[in-house]
Amino acid sequence: MDPDEVEFLGEKQYISIIPTFSSNVIHLISGDVGPFRPSIPIRVPFWMAMQLKQQRICKIEPPEWMEVDKLEAIKEDEKNSRTFTKMPSDHYMVEAKILLASATDDIPRADEIRTIIKDIWDVRMSKLRSSVDVLVKNNGSYAAVDNLTLMEINSIRPLLPHALDTLYRLKNSITGGSSQSQSTTTFSRSTTSFHS
Amino acid sequence: MENLNLSDDLDLENALQDENDEDEQLTPAEVIELMEEAWLNEKFAPEILPHKFDVVECLLGQITYMEDNIQNLESKDFRKTIHQLEVDRLRFLVCSYLRTRIEKIEAYCNHIMKQESERISKGEDQYLTESEFQFLKDFIQSLDSHFEKVTSFTVVTEDWKSQPVVPNVHSFVFLKSKQEVEGVIIDDGRNDENDLVDLDKGSQLIISYNSVANLIKKGDVHLI
Amino acid sequence: MFGEKACDLIKELSRAEDNLPAYNTDLVTEVGNEIKVLIEKNQEDAQISEDSRASDGLSYISTVKIRHAAVKRNFRCLLAYHYNRLKCIRTMRWEFGSILPADIKVNMSATESEWFTKYSRLMTQYMRSVGEEGVNLWVDLKPPKALYIEVRCLVDYGKFELNDGSVIFLKKHSRHYLPRSECEELIRQGVFYHIN
Repeated sequence: MDPDEVEFLGEKQYISIIPTFSSNVIHLISGDVGPFRPSIPIRVPFWMAMQLKQQRICKIEPPEWMEVDKLEAIKEDEKNSRTFTKMPSDHYMVEAKILLASATDDIPRADEIRTIIKDIWDVRMSKLRSSVDVLVKNNGSYAAVDNLTLMEINSIRPLLPHALDTLYRLKNSITGGSSQSQSTTTFSRSTTSFHS
Repeated sequence: MENLNLSDDLDLENALQDENDEDEQLTPAEVIELMEEAWLNEKFAPEILPHKFDVVECLLGQITYMEDNIQNLESKDFRKTIHQLEVDRLRFLVCSYLRTRIEKIEAYCNHIMKQESERISKGEDQYLTESEFQFLKDFIQSLDSHFEKVTSFTVVTEDWKSQPVVPNVHSFVFLKSKQEVEGVIIDDGRNDENDLVDLDKGSQLIISYNSVANLIKKGDVHLI
Repeated sequence: MFGEKACDLIKELSRAEDNLPAYNTDLVTEVGNEIKVLIEKNQEDAQISEDSRASDGLSYISTVKIRHAAVKRNFRCLLAYHYNRLKCIRTMRWEFGSILPADIKVNMSATESEWFTKYSRLMTQYMRSVGEEGVNLWVDLKPPKALYIEVRCLVDYGKFELNDGSVIFLKKHSRHYLPRSECEELIRQGVFYHIN
């Protein structure tokens, strides 16, 4: 999947903005937004918030998790947990990327936040790599990927599905090609869970 | 055999579901949701899925309606850009979905033709819409006539359809479960003692497509 | 050796990767001739063995079988060559639009140009039949980000009329701020460079 498409899906999340303009309710196909009154926070889709920000008619309120302290806690949890912890948003990476690129002035301590989010991503990615390693080595035929976000899943695509495909083919050619059932039992059919 | 029985049951349930659906009016937001789901499913499923043209038509209708309204807004009105961007986003969604299907129709044309013909002769619902089916026929015809021209020097009738390109239905996909599903049979390439797995609502899995194809078509799980 | 030329044909295509090499009329003809000769010889031998059925007819069978296998293989290679070229041409239709760059066009055979036109027509027919007003699948290949984008003109293009009726003059190195939807095709044709 094109990373732009992952972003596309993330952009329909809602975020709080503080408008500097007045407007009645806008009837979007995806639902009504507004009314807009100066200084009164209101929730709008990300893509819309970015459009308004570009036109300099609003300030962005960072999502409540986008704070140094909260992110530090998330990072610690992630480090201490064997499994993937649940992220505060299913699109945390997309949201962070967009906000840190286009609304830095609205985010206190943006540089620190950028670093911590990168750290969290790295911790999760290295966990992901070792899980994949275990899965492939154990010759698993499925695995739970709970709490992984779309962007993270996309980062192991197409590599992991391809690797499992290849394993499946090998397994199949052994089962199919050899009449000695003995030879197949050495391939244990264990299942690896990414989070158990 | 088990799979066969299962799919028969599913068809029945789908039919019942459809009847219920007609009573409820979906909100445009729900239609968008369905479109996104159909888009992702089609994107990641190796084979072509049953079409979702009711959703497509409904969303295209919304888009057209909105575009007509946008015409009436002044070009300086900031709302115009917002509406336009939303329309563009939704149009991308629909178009990308349709493109993905066309790509599969082209790549697996002979295979899909065979499957659709079987569905027709069995009186089952077709996976392709009428216009997709027309495109499929025309596309195959265009290849036929091209191959005929380039091999006109000989009378050999080696049929190019004898070894059609087929989708790898065993390829691995990521899914998210929309509800609890018990006893999904894992196809791990051996016929004996298949593993079973239960899905909780919201759980995510990487698994072979053919283990869950029916659940995707039924709408219990969706691909991510 | 039988099938060697057919193999060369395939190799030529695979070396070109995503590019379309010049249509190799000579080699295609040679493979075609090889097929013809093999078939003729087989027919001759079949006739002989028919005539001398009682005596040594058997000895021809293996020769005939090998020739037949060579015919089949040559034929499949020819099909693969032509099919994969069409796939490449199809991709270019999506990339460049209805007018292909001259350097690609010269590499296509007359039959391939014909197919290109036919494919465009099929797609147009299909696109017209969707929804009440039809859809245009050739455009919006990527998720929309912003409505307007900045582009730099790479060639002296001349007059360009926008959907709203206004006409702009595209000069080499000139910069423009234009609706994304109207630039897409020119970007793909290499007229515009999208400035990020």
